[in-house]
Amino acid sequence: METKTTKKRKSIGTILSNYSFVLIFLAIFIAYIIINGGATTWSGVMNILRHSAVVGIIAFGMGLAIITGGIDLSVGSMLAIIAGFAVVLFNATNSIFLTFLFTLAAGGVCGAFNGILIGRAKMPAFIVTLATMLIYRSISQYYLRSTGSSIYSMDGTLSSYDAFYSFGQNKILTIPIVGIVLIIITIIMVFISTNTKFGKEIFAIGSNEKAALLAGINVDHIRVLVYVIGGVLAGLSSFLWLAMNGSVDPATIGKSNEMYAIAAVVIGGISMSGGKGRLLGVLFGSMSYTIIDKIISSLGVDALINDTIKGSILLLAVFIQIMLPVLRSRLAKHRENP
Amino acid sequence: MEILKMTGITKSFSGVTVIRDIDFSVEKGEVHALLGENGAGKSTLMNILAGVHDYDSGTIVFNGEEMKDITVKRSESAGIAFVHQELNLFNDLKVFENIFLEKEILTRLGTLNKKEMIRKTYELFDSLGVDIDPEEMVSELETSKKQLLEIAKAIFANAELFILDEPTTSLNNNEIDHLFALISRLKAQGKSFIFISHKLNEIFTIADTYTILRNGSFIKAGSIADTTPEEVAQLMVGSSMADSAIYHERALGDVILSLDKLCGEGFEDVSLDVRRGEVIGLTGLKGAGVTEMMQAVFGARHITDGKLYINGKEMAGDRISSAMKNGVAMVAANRKENSVIHDFTILENVFVSEHTLSKKHPIINRKKELENYYEMKDLLNIKANDPEDSILSLSGGNQQKVILARWLSTGADIFLMDNPTQGIDIGAKAEIYKLIMEMAKAGKTVLVNTLEIPEIQKIADRCVVFFHGHIQKILMREEITEEEVMLYATNVKQGPEG
Repeated sequence: METKTTKKRKSIGTILSNYSFVLIFLAIFIAYIIINGGATTWSGVMNILRHSAVVGIIAFGMGLAIITGGIDLSVGSMLAIIAGFAVVLFNATNSIFLTFLFTLAAGGVCGAFNGILIGRAKMPAFIVTLATMLIYRSISQYYLRSTGSSIYSMDGTLSSYDAFYSFGQNKILTIPIVGIVLIIITIIMVFISTNTKFGKEIFAIGSNEKAALLAGINVDHIRVLVYVIGGVLAGLSSFLWLAMNGSVDPATIGKSNEMYAIAAVVIGGISMSGGKGRLLGVLFGSMSYTIIDKIISSLGVDALINDTIKGSILLLAVFIQIMLPVLRSRLAKHRENP
Repeated sequence: MEILKMTGITKSFSGVTVIRDIDFSVEKGEVHALLGENGAGKSTLMNILAGVHDYDSGTIVFNGEEMKDITVKRSESAGIAFVHQELNLFNDLKVFENIFLEKEILTRLGTLNKKEMIRKTYELFDSLGVDIDPEEMVSELETSKKQLLEIAKAIFANAELFILDEPTTSLNNNEIDHLFALISRLKAQGKSFIFISHKLNEIFTIADTYTILRNGSFIKAGSIADTTPEEVAQLMVGSSMADSAIYHERALGDVILSLDKLCGEGFEDVSLDVRRGEVIGLTGLKGAGVTEMMQAVFGARHITDGKLYINGKEMAGDRISSAMKNGVAMVAANRKENSVIHDFTILENVFVSEHTLSKKHPIINRKKELENYYEMKDLLNIKANDPEDSILSLSGGNQQKVILARWLSTGADIFLMDNPTQGIDIGAKAEIYKLIMEMAKAGKTVLVNTLEIPEIQKIADRCVVFFHGHIQKILMREEITEEEVMLYATNVKQGPEG
């Protein structure tokens, strides 16, 4: 009975509420350009990508966990433990490749610890990752104290140091390499979530776990995998962090990153109750937050106001997501009987 | 005297007229059956009466007064009680607390006067002949008791007209008798009922009058005494589909599924050999163990003892994935809870199970899936616009067909169907029976668990009657009659297997 016109109207409305994260991003981006005015440069814009990478990549793992109906609070602390020990390893081996492998593997182990407790032992994700959030950072800080230093610092005299550090600073065709890594991860994650059977299973679990189980999905196994992937992504973020900064202060690295990641996921339109949303939104969500940092620093206001603005944007984003469908149905009703 | 008279009710949603010029009236002290397939407009009409939806035109007169701008509150205070399929009770409160919610009796100090409330609850239950402990937690009550409590609560709130929406879906025969006894008692006191049910035998037991809707229009109203189930079914469906013979004689293959003294929580010592291409109807009162046995065969429930063979191969049990790899499929009961993935499209809902078996190719081949989907859509006659639409946009019957498509696409040989026609209309039911027969002709083996014996008569080669977790009797096709099955299911008759 549905006519073509109503169908078309529906799809425009649906696109609006499904891709509200693009609207939010554009609004913030335009504000950035206006505030920066003539000082807006291509490399400035590209820097947004670069500075979104660490939280953005973490947020993809967070997105997967939230889609299954869970959460991963430990990602920020994973940065502290993985990046910290990666520095120790690099200083001992002078090998970028080994360091890279270590970050991914260590991330996988940290994630597997979360995942096994959540997926197999059926402990609540919030509690498990709250606990490991405390544990992972504490181990990193404790070990550092035992070596007598105050930060994990990469040895700049090593022969591989320059190559490693420049990886974090260099550009290819004016695009920062770190930003390219973020884009590649985005493409991979969007592909996995929309075009693979594994991706669909993640959504199925978050939508109706019991039905997913009775449809033959190995729910426990997929849960574990999701947290392992989250850990590996946190490992990759740690690697990028080292390439960009060269040192790690375990007390501050990644602090509140889990919160920013959750916010990026929510702004991206992923439902906190699981089963719904698009991972593409995570990229826009995390870039939106990076731009806010830039705006604040170019306005020259106190950086402490930062979280007020970020928090408000989060509220606004969720408000829009909730209100758009309501407005849409009111509008449709109004159009039919004005 | 008419307690309710709805005249010329019309209502449209988003430009689509869902009910058109419907007249509906209920006499005081009668049970009036409101009949129609899913989507006929019954729920819309009742939701209008209960103040959930507004309506475009028409008049509603209740107790001699015209009702305008009905809200849920106004409808309730006028004396209309809507007892929903999903019960509106607070599970974490006690029985009496539910009854006195927002009408609490207070002591002079302003604290709750529990003693008085409990006493009054006893009084109420006594007058209704309801056997429930007022101090029990609602979560501890059986479903049937909850249903009775819901009605008692409405009585306490001085309801005159009760809308019962599929009240017997989750009740066993004993509990249904209980409910019907209560309805009869209240009827004698002048209370009126609108009774919505798909089960025609119940309608012919309890109702005095009926109104049939089809496709949002009024079809016929009259006295139950002047009609027959066949006529009613035909008027509801609008064609003689419901009546056509479905069963076909077939040659059966070798034994494909064999249970040897299988035990698990809820069932014990179940021995059964099922042959390829056979259709078996399983039945028993609620809690007789059929569901549990099916879950165990599917690997969703632990097998404590006994052996299970599929195609001659002994199964370890406890693993859904290995049951599926060996060609077992299960259409679970309670579609909404156990089958439908709500946030998924129709297409995604169809292939979710097939995906778990074809992990060797991790990337989805959309084109091929669409081809398969359209093939299945034709085969099952799924009424859907776009495979990318949400599964929730479909009616119950079509959702169930999507779930059937899900399992057909896994290429399974053995289908366990737990109450597959629950909450779907007669037309879709008939289609599902036909499909089961087609599947059997193609060599698939189908086990159907249902409480509706006419369903079993339509399709089954054998009927396995359960009682208290074990097989009471296996009836051959020619022995299956409603009386015979009920006698075994209620342990009046014991079979050699029992």
